[in-house]
Amino acid sequence: MSTITASNISDSTTTVGTSYVVNGSAKAWVNLNGVGTISIRISLNTSSIADNGTGQYRQNFSSSFSGGYCTSGSVSQVNSWLETEKEYTYVDTLVDVVSRSDGGGASDTSHCEIQNFGDLA
Amino acid sequence: MTHLWERLLEAKSRLEPVQSKYRVLFEDPAAPDEPAKVLVPDPNWMACALAGGILPPIDTYQRDRLVPDGEPKEHPYAEPIDAMSEEEAIEYLIMKDIDPSVWRDYKGNRTIMKIVPVELIPSDRSFRNAWRVVQ
Repeated sequence: MSTITASNISDSTTTVGTSYVVNGSAKAWVNLNGVGTISIRISLNTSSIADNGTGQYRQNFSSSFSGGYCTSGSVSQVNSWLETEKEYTYVDTLVDVVSRSDGGGASDTSHCEIQNFGDLA
Repeated sequence: MTHLWERLLEAKSRLEPVQSKYRVLFEDPAAPDEPAKVLVPDPNWMACALAGGILPPIDTYQRDRLVPDGEPKEHPYAEPIDAMSEEEAIEYLIMKDIDPSVWRDYKGNRTIMKIVPVELIPSDRSFRNAWRVVQ
């Protein structure tokens, strides 16, 4: 693997520090199919997912984070959303999420995307 | 030694993902009312396990379990291990991603963990929250 060392990236009009790019990139992400037989479509830095019940998924990281991270995600259905459950599992090695539908109940989703940002251990 | 994340990134650009033919079905002994859970190996991770020279030894993850969040971890810069078979990779993954209370410490009579072919996992999820490990 080749390495380009630079402090800034510029398109000759706008310049941004490479630290913003590096620190702003998702360090672990996954796109999973949560219906039928659960499977992973694409991912980075993910060792496995766990199907924990209806609409409940866990992403396990290969390379863990260091002292917390930020998670965002989305699901494919209209009027549905993805919640993280960090109050229960705020550890650097995994994230638990729940896909919820209109009424607030957990529901399976065909496309569940999770991205995690932060410093790696 | 490059960081594990860099090795994973490089491997993703080079290795074809491998969909495992196994799943791990398990129950949490601390939450007997919860449904059985299903562990699904990541295809990129499985490709790394089968290729060798990328993943750290499993004992580094186990020691890191005892390290508080935010403290330096051992596994990112540990010397990578050689290639594993798919069966060895599943055992590695169990020790990495399933709590030891399931695979090491449980002393009860019920079977709470099974490695099964993916075909044995029901695709009908109508009663997903009632799934249990068959005895």
